[in-house]
Amino acid sequence: MKLTKKSNRVIDHAPNQVIDSSLIDKAGTAKKAAGEAMSRRQFLRGSSLMAGGAALATAFTPGMMKKAEAAGSTTGDIKRVKTVCTHCSVGCGVIAEVQNGVWTGQEPALDHPFNKGAHCAKGASIREHGHGERRLKYPTKLVDGKWKKVSWDQAINEIGDKLLSIRKESGPDSVYWLGSAKHNNEQAYLFRKMAGMWGTNNVDHQARICHSTTVAGVANTWGYGAMTNSYNDIHNSKSILLIGSNPSEAHPVSMLHIMKAKEENNAPIVVIDPRFTRTAAHADHFLQIRPGTDVPIIWGMLYHIFKNGWEDKGFIRQRVYGMEEVMQEVAKWDPAEVERVTGVKEHRVKAAAKAMADNRPGTFIWCMGGTQHTVGNNNTRAYCTFQLALGNMGVSGGGANIFRGHDNVQGATDLGVLANTLPGYYGLSAGSWKHWSRVWDLDYDWVKGQFDDGSYEKKGDKDVHVMNTKGMPVSRWIDGVLEDKDNIAQKDNIKAMFFWGHAPNSQTRGTEQKKAMEKLDMMVVVDPYPTASAVMQDRKDGVYLLPAATQLETYGSCTASNRSFQWRSKVMDPLFESLPDHTIMYKLAKKVGIADQMFKNIKVENDEPHIEDILREINRGMWTIGYTGQSPERLKKQQENWGDFDFTSLKAEGGQCDGEFYGLPWPCWGTPEMKHPGTPNLYDGSKSVADGGLTFRARFGVERNGTNLLAEGFHSVGSEIKDGYPEFKADMLKKLGWWDDLTDEEKTAAEGKNWKTDLSGGIQRVAIKHGCAPFGNAKARVNVWTFPDPIPIHREPLYTSRRDLVEKYPTYEDRKSFWRLPTRYGSIQAQDFSKEYPMILSSFRLVEYEGGGDESRSNPWLAELQQDMFVEINPRDANNAGIRDGNMVWIATPEGAKIKVKAMVTRRVAAGVVSAPYHFAGHMQGEDLRSKYPKGSDPFVLGEALNTAMTYGYDSVTQMQESKVSLCNITKA
Amino acid sequence: MAANVKFYCDSERCIECNACVTACKNENEVPWGINRRRVVTVKDGEPGERSLSVACMHCTDAPCAAVCPVDCFYTTDNGIVLHDKDICIGCGYCSYACPFGAPQFPTSGAFSSRGKMDKCTFCAGGPEETGSVDEYKKYGANRLAEGKLPLCAEMCATKALLAGDANTVSDIYRKRVISRSMSTLASSGAIQQNGFNPDFSGKVTK
Amino acid sequence: MNQIKQFFLFGLVIFLFNLSPISISNVHAADGEKAGQNFSPLGVESPAADLWRAVRQRNPEGGENLVGRSQVKGPNASTLINVGGQEWRNWRNSKLIPYSMYALGGMLLVIVLFRLIRGKIKIKAGRSGKKIKRFTNFQRFVHWTVAILFVILGITGVILTLGRYGLLPLIGKEAFGFIAYYGKLLHNYLGPVFSVMLVVMLFTFIKGNMFNWTDIKWFLKGGGLFGGHASAGRYNGGEKAWYWIAMLAGIVVVISGLILNFPQLIPILNLSSEQFQQAQFLHAVGSIGLFVVSFGHIYMGTFAMEGAFEAMRTGECDSNWAKEHHDIWYEELQRDGSLTMNDTASNPSSNETAQTA
Repeated sequence: MKLTKKSNRVIDHAPNQVIDSSLIDKAGTAKKAAGEAMSRRQFLRGSSLMAGGAALATAFTPGMMKKAEAAGSTTGDIKRVKTVCTHCSVGCGVIAEVQNGVWTGQEPALDHPFNKGAHCAKGASIREHGHGERRLKYPTKLVDGKWKKVSWDQAINEIGDKLLSIRKESGPDSVYWLGSAKHNNEQAYLFRKMAGMWGTNNVDHQARICHSTTVAGVANTWGYGAMTNSYNDIHNSKSILLIGSNPSEAHPVSMLHIMKAKEENNAPIVVIDPRFTRTAAHADHFLQIRPGTDVPIIWGMLYHIFKNGWEDKGFIRQRVYGMEEVMQEVAKWDPAEVERVTGVKEHRVKAAAKAMADNRPGTFIWCMGGTQHTVGNNNTRAYCTFQLALGNMGVSGGGANIFRGHDNVQGATDLGVLANTLPGYYGLSAGSWKHWSRVWDLDYDWVKGQFDDGSYEKKGDKDVHVMNTKGMPVSRWIDGVLEDKDNIAQKDNIKAMFFWGHAPNSQTRGTEQKKAMEKLDMMVVVDPYPTASAVMQDRKDGVYLLPAATQLETYGSCTASNRSFQWRSKVMDPLFESLPDHTIMYKLAKKVGIADQMFKNIKVENDEPHIEDILREINRGMWTIGYTGQSPERLKKQQENWGDFDFTSLKAEGGQCDGEFYGLPWPCWGTPEMKHPGTPNLYDGSKSVADGGLTFRARFGVERNGTNLLAEGFHSVGSEIKDGYPEFKADMLKKLGWWDDLTDEEKTAAEGKNWKTDLSGGIQRVAIKHGCAPFGNAKARVNVWTFPDPIPIHREPLYTSRRDLVEKYPTYEDRKSFWRLPTRYGSIQAQDFSKEYPMILSSFRLVEYEGGGDESRSNPWLAELQQDMFVEINPRDANNAGIRDGNMVWIATPEGAKIKVKAMVTRRVAAGVVSAPYHFAGHMQGEDLRSKYPKGSDPFVLGEALNTAMTYGYDSVTQMQESKVSLCNITKA
Repeated sequence: MAANVKFYCDSERCIECNACVTACKNENEVPWGINRRRVVTVKDGEPGERSLSVACMHCTDAPCAAVCPVDCFYTTDNGIVLHDKDICIGCGYCSYACPFGAPQFPTSGAFSSRGKMDKCTFCAGGPEETGSVDEYKKYGANRLAEGKLPLCAEMCATKALLAGDANTVSDIYRKRVISRSMSTLASSGAIQQNGFNPDFSGKVTK
Repeated sequence: MNQIKQFFLFGLVIFLFNLSPISISNVHAADGEKAGQNFSPLGVESPAADLWRAVRQRNPEGGENLVGRSQVKGPNASTLINVGGQEWRNWRNSKLIPYSMYALGGMLLVIVLFRLIRGKIKIKAGRSGKKIKRFTNFQRFVHWTVAILFVILGITGVILTLGRYGLLPLIGKEAFGFIAYYGKLLHNYLGPVFSVMLVVMLFTFIKGNMFNWTDIKWFLKGGGLFGGHASAGRYNGGEKAWYWIAMLAGIVVVISGLILNFPQLIPILNLSSEQFQQAQFLHAVGSIGLFVVSFGHIYMGTFAMEGAFEAMRTGECDSNWAKEHHDIWYEELQRDGSLTMNDTASNPSSNETAQTA
């Protein structure tokens, strides 16, 4: 105990000007004092913190110990690393302070154009990654039911040998490559390339179960399947509609932008959701729908819009195809029927519709609540139709602002980590493979030869080569393992699975998933954490856990939800024995003998492929969506100067990136040398294409049944063609007399090619030079004639409690082979489960956790805030079942699974509906699996995975899983 | 004279994302179980739901200081209420008196009794030498000395939590109130109340 | 024996510091219920003041704390505003502390006055030199354990309650912090021991401590303190009253003390700060009350009366003392024939030393 007097008791060293002026203004900027007091922090954070007595200080976290041990010496410069949060698609800037390789401090990036220093609970605690105490620490293998440490070489050798033997016996399609939205762009691209060169289309990632119905629905409406505007552009919105979206928990920093519009534009906020979410708490209109009735509520709103003539007739005439057919469908949804189906009263629907009609432009935001349904593609197209009807598309402040989930799910989707396409949405046609073979500088026949030589399906009478056949989607890999071999459209069942950055608890049908895992010959988990895959099965061997580095331990580019690229710098070296994903891919490719081809034009050093080279290869091939202008150099320059970009327009004013939009949002047309600024808002005709303007894409032909599909009387600013036009091809340039604008080299490359396949970028350059969009200028279509329901219609969920509606709104018929698998619809809906399972079961997410939660539940700063898996239950249902707040309850679902969770009695959910978060794992049907984790790598918080109990149901276009509506019963445990 | 600093949480903006809570953990390495800041939601899940981020409010007439048996609290020139852990005896009286539940106590000793009190310092360290290891260990970061504001406020997702000079905080708040239209405020509660919580218990509604 | 005396004296000195005149003025200075302090010195009303006023008003029940939900787990985490805190603070600073000082100081004053008026109560008949067994060794053990614990807890308790106003200004924060810290440790560790011993004492001394008619007469005669003879059994009415006060108030003090001492002892109770405030109220009032009354007991048992202290010190009393003060008991012993007298009059000087204060 010290008895000496302390030094001064007054904080007289805080400079007055800071206190007086550094307050965060409404836009969220804070001025910093000139000259950061680095020396202090240097001394403090880096010095040996355990030195000195002070037994009276607060207890220390392990992290602090680590910091102290790792820092070692008391000196060493503090490095400020600009990087990007890895938790969601908002793409918040992070400033990491690193000393002697240890991440010692995190500062808000107050000048970052997306977040102005703001973070949610996850972003504000991201430095905990520097501690990583619960990480998977070294390659681990399951031997006789026990985890055993192995070397990287041994692991890669054993895995590779097994892969090759499976390939020999069952063919390349029996290995499933489950990739990740947590990869950066370069890794995602490499992953897709690796699967292709292994010779399979059985590759997919979480986008399948997150926004695949959005991508399909939206791309088929107006051309591209992405968020059309940006988070920042919401500042210009006069009204905001959110359906199945709860940004207060899922994208909290986006609320910074939404609140700005609400406060400064007096923009009404309409929230449509089965739950009274934390976002709904701040809304002006809240429409509480029955889960799974998105189309009826949207049609119900459009009913009032059309009835009162509030639609934008001029916009529809010029830029929309098929609205009359929608009007016919909408006419069926009178207020009484809407109320009967959705539960929402007429005046509320009308008030919300009027709020949107009166306050234009309005933005339309949706997320998983809309996409994860058997009719997900109908929902997303209904949303698009709503915006088209109000003329809210292609305008700043409007748009379909689809908030993506993972930090790089947009990038991983764009880069084709999908069973149905190559990078850049080129699809799987022979032409696409040839395009990419050219980009890869490989012989097309060699690539083709990697695939199984047979055919699984016919187009007309002709056999389709396996290479051109869609693979199994990640949502269905379970069935690829368990389904009888004769029922699946490929040579053999899936025998080996890679879970390369995937949480199994984000997928429905957990009990069947467990069975599938146990049936596999081999499963390989590549992840910074063991994930639930390591513990949910009862295997005794054949499981490998390979420690991957986090994105903060490597570098590369990532694409935020608004299509902006950001360069994410490496904060620290990989912890423990973990390796970056691309290094692991290289080791594996080398082992299975495809490394020479795969890395033909990519430099590899110490087994680590050169990230910049990979991005340059992406730039050379991704013409469809304009991933071509974002060279590593341009991205790095933007990163250095991110403070120069405007908070609302995202445009740099002055400085080194003058005129560019932040992140060169795709499409960033042409080559990097062309210096296209990126496209901040898609389809915005008020700018010239060279300045980021666009038209709707001419993707669906030029006419249908005699009706013109091209835009009429509309073009983007500066276009030399003053009407609609199709996509650009070499021949079209010649016809227009613009061929000679190409250089000689470009002419050689462009001959016989189109804007998507011309590797010189000349066609795009010349089209843009004349003010035209390379992809044409067409109408958006609200009739997608290639889909099961060309005009979106309502169909009751497979598991519905409203038996009275099944007859009028039946689901689809069962399909025999759909993405290689039999898929059930009607046969499930035909059974009435509602007597035994009367409650509707839905799901939601929590701000503290992300996805399957292995990462965030291993972060003590987050885990402390959500310690129990719970289910929300209305007081009425709770009383009926004799359940009190905090009781343990069993949730049982019709397919036989049951989970034990804590009850939270709340009015957040309506009577008849229960809802639970899906981030938990580590318990299985009441059993705690903590002891099964490799020692020291169990997350702080475990809980029952909701998806253990979630049931069957897949979208009719994309195989999106139905994880938002099922039935259950709930009893006190 | 030195400025007077204050926290203010704008309940119209707070979305209970808990960034302030984890930012505090991040900056001060506060152990599990000790939360210098927390978010409290009233009417959780009901119309009118609002959240507030709460920590030490650095009261002008601080009850903690008034009841402390050993007088370990002191107020800085900036109006920040700090305490001296070398004097604190862990009696818990400050926590009985504090309106905001700010004082936290790590458990210590054989009987899991209270250790030295810990609370929000407005990221202004404590009585140890500024920038010293002892200061960080006992009180956490001293951002103010570096010309920075508390990390919780700097990282707030919606800028609901404001920190800094009382005048500036008031100015920002006043501007926000003006720009929030009365109609928005007036309508929100009423519309939400209507038809809130329908019943989907499987009954056929005709 | 000298140690015990010194111990008491030390306690008294510390104690008196806390009752010094400076301390009274300190109380008022430190509490500072200064009007207009919701406003910062710059004259700007903080929006926080409005907000928190609104929070209080929003609470339908008014006085109750407004409880919401919080993801942070911990005592009171979901309480938005602890309204009782202000009341507790006001009670503590404007009632408990000054009135404790008045009560403790007043009692000392009463004792001094009593001494001056009444002087030392001698054994009228003088010492017989014959000893009567009054307390068993076990009884003495229990008494002294409890007594020592009581005094330590009392003094440390008074330091914690009043020291800031008395002792602290004299010796400075660091030194006082040191004393208070170890005082608190001592208080917290010995408190539970005291709790156990109190229960033991309850059973050890319950025999003979039941009230009867004799006690009422005894009280009516003022215990014979102001002349006249008040008959008494083994224990007189005053002793019995002390026994019951000590036991009943003691139980209150012990239970509330255990709650304060082990805030997380029974986590399931999840006590709110309001309950801690109540516990602290009971603990403070009960223990100050006990302490005040104990002065009387201590004085009577030591300095006030010839022959009293030796009874508890040695377990034996002089037969004349017994005759004068506990006549009924003495007669009972005589009747029973159980009166065994030890003639130890050969060394009366030892008694003298014990009585010299």
